[in-house]
Amino acid sequence: MPDDSLMNRFDRNGLTRFRARDGIFALLVCALLLVVCKGDGLRAQGERMEPGWDRDVVLFFGKPAGAIADALPFARAVDDATAFLSPDEALDGAGGFERVAAQAGGELPPVTADAFDPVAIGAEPPRKEPLRTLLVTGDSMAQPLDAELATALAGRGVKVVRDVRLGTGISKSFLLDWGQLSTTQVRRSEPDATVVFIGANEGFPMEDASGQEVECCSADWAALYANRARRMADTYRQGGNGRVYWITVPTARDEDRAKIGRVVNAAVRVAVQPWASQVRLIDTVPQFAPRGYADAVTIDGRRRIVRAADGIHLNEEGAGLLADTVLARLGQDFTY
Amino acid sequence: MLFPTVQFALFFPVVLVLSWALIRRQAVWKPFIIVASYVFYGYADWRFCLLLAAITLGNQWAALLIARTRSERGRSWLLGGAVALDLLTLGVFKYYAFFVENVDRALGPFSLPLPLLTIALPIGVSFFTFQAISYVVDVKRRLVEPASTVDVAIYLSFFPHLVAGPIVRAREFLPQLQQPPDPRKVAVGSGLALIALGLVKKLAIADTLAREVVDPVFAVPGAYAAPDLWLAAYAYTAQIYCDFSGYTDMAIGLALLLGYVFPQNFRSPYRATGFSDFWRRWHMTLSRFLRDFLYIPLGGNRKGRWKTYRNLLLTMTLGGLWHGAAWPFVLWGVFHGTMLCLERAWRGRLALPGWLRWAVTFHLVVLGWILFRAPDMQVFGDFVARLAEPGPATLLTAPIAVMVVAVIGLQLVPERTVERVQVNIERTNPLVLGAGLAVVIALVAATVSSQGVAPFIYFRF
Repeated sequence: MPDDSLMNRFDRNGLTRFRARDGIFALLVCALLLVVCKGDGLRAQGERMEPGWDRDVVLFFGKPAGAIADALPFARAVDDATAFLSPDEALDGAGGFERVAAQAGGELPPVTADAFDPVAIGAEPPRKEPLRTLLVTGDSMAQPLDAELATALAGRGVKVVRDVRLGTGISKSFLLDWGQLSTTQVRRSEPDATVVFIGANEGFPMEDASGQEVECCSADWAALYANRARRMADTYRQGGNGRVYWITVPTARDEDRAKIGRVVNAAVRVAVQPWASQVRLIDTVPQFAPRGYADAVTIDGRRRIVRAADGIHLNEEGAGLLADTVLARLGQDFTY
Repeated sequence: MLFPTVQFALFFPVVLVLSWALIRRQAVWKPFIIVASYVFYGYADWRFCLLLAAITLGNQWAALLIARTRSERGRSWLLGGAVALDLLTLGVFKYYAFFVENVDRALGPFSLPLPLLTIALPIGVSFFTFQAISYVVDVKRRLVEPASTVDVAIYLSFFPHLVAGPIVRAREFLPQLQQPPDPRKVAVGSGLALIALGLVKKLAIADTLAREVVDPVFAVPGAYAAPDLWLAAYAYTAQIYCDFSGYTDMAIGLALLLGYVFPQNFRSPYRATGFSDFWRRWHMTLSRFLRDFLYIPLGGNRKGRWKTYRNLLLTMTLGGLWHGAAWPFVLWGVFHGTMLCLERAWRGRLALPGWLRWAVTFHLVVLGWILFRAPDMQVFGDFVARLAEPGPATLLTAPIAVMVVAVIGLQLVPERTVERVQVNIERTNPLVLGAGLAVVIALVAATVSSQGVAPFIYFRF
């Protein structure tokens, strides 16, 4: 039988001609060049990590590396030269979270008619409009819901824009500012309806109006989160021209994550109150975790696994069920 | 821990320096490399380390018992028990939910009272379980002597190959542990060049193709017409090669810097002119595992034509199932098994020109990849049904076209030419290659989106 492993390739071609220390020096040269030209990137990576010992280690090296890169002109030159390779789009500066906390409060906001769902008060529901563009967005929670909705609406004249940002969060604006992103999304797509499913990566400290960091998950943190969510909901509703379907996060298996989820859901409930006629809250907790977290739920008398192995996300079965719920809710407001 | 992350970029140089500093003191180096490998593995979830340790100790115990047993029958029983336990472990972690769900659906109201649970899949469990099986089988076949428990722990946990291969055989790796590497003879150039190549394949090509074309189209094929679907099929063909071979390149490169040699896993698979040729070029270490531990023990091609077909089908079906607990993987295996049977049946009867054999093989492989990538059979059906649907090409851009054509086209360049270029690069002064690696990292880092690096496809397997 021929030797298909080709393990002797390195000896055969005389490639084992170097010393181990050559390799170490080579990596040293590589590391020095990267510190000079991309040291700020290492620091930024560390700052984006979730709190923990590994973040501390990365920042231990990243902060001095970033300081060196800041002091020299090379990092900026490399960033400028490689910017064309970046897959990230430039976001609109408007609508960002930067000033949300500072703008919150102030004068007593008036209650408007938008705060009342006509159906809830027994009034005549507005006439159904045809659904032309649906934006499905969020973090990893929105997958595979986005694909389920797009599949269900394919061939029905509805353009489904799927814009899922993995690893991001409303409280994680150092990575992606959802205030800016939502503004950009609305400008680009002008959706008739927006489905928002986000909350898998929350729990990060946020700055209050005085610039102080507020840790999760106090009432102060929930208020900051609600103000950000409210900014997004207001952007997506487009002054009343769009409908928003904001999905709460189902209870997670991990107790710490479940606690964050509870606060996030409470904050979202408060955030959308001023526009109950345009922003619908779709609560996943009764559907997927009515008695706390469970891998499986009973559907039509049969047990079905609806959660992914990580105990956070929905699997395809769960996403399919949620898509049915969302489509039913969309059907109350639109024709498609 | 993923290779192309800052965490690994900080982890590896420390391990490299300490590894070479300790290499002559094996009594210290061995525990050190085990700890380093377990830190690497346990970074995502430390509980997975318990499973790895249990697999290590269980198989070492079995190997020692096999070596001490004189009767061939007793050795076979012990081997059977060890392999069964390995497969049971694999089954529980990888296939439990798949099995219970399918049985539950098939039996309807008579369903078994098994709890419906999702069990977290430990990364790389398929790879280290197969390596453990290879160790006990090689001991049973007297191809290797039972190694010390520490050596077996290193063999199974050595971090460059731990989570996605290549599947290194015990008889390839254990002798390297018994003869520590010479610090004056290290393939440094090859190591650095392979790491750089792997980064480009994974971050610049595979992730870009996935993000821009493959993931959107495979999620909702019904929303796209033929031009985008064909593009997605070719793009996934390029993506899966770059994703997996990119990981393997990095794994081999990192091991080389540490002084260890792994077998090659890919050899221009898309230049294959037949399915047996394809499997000699694609995931070569899995192919030979399946050949040596499944196909040949089943009888291989020695028991007549029909039993050969049966053995091919069975081997490839189980090979498909190895990739994941889902029907598309199983059917992908059946498809490849069927192609291998047809190829064998028609051997000598059809005299096709080489270019036509290549074109047919390549497009059948692409068809197989559509099946492999589809999350379920409905998506596969939608995808294939729309391959003739007229419509605009909305996803075709110049960079995407260049990537797909380059990845597939470069594999058609004569292998000797490629090797000559590769050898010239790998002989370059390591300091120059170190600087080159920095340039590559700076460039590919710019192609990573703010959402980070996508997990390697084969991590799921």
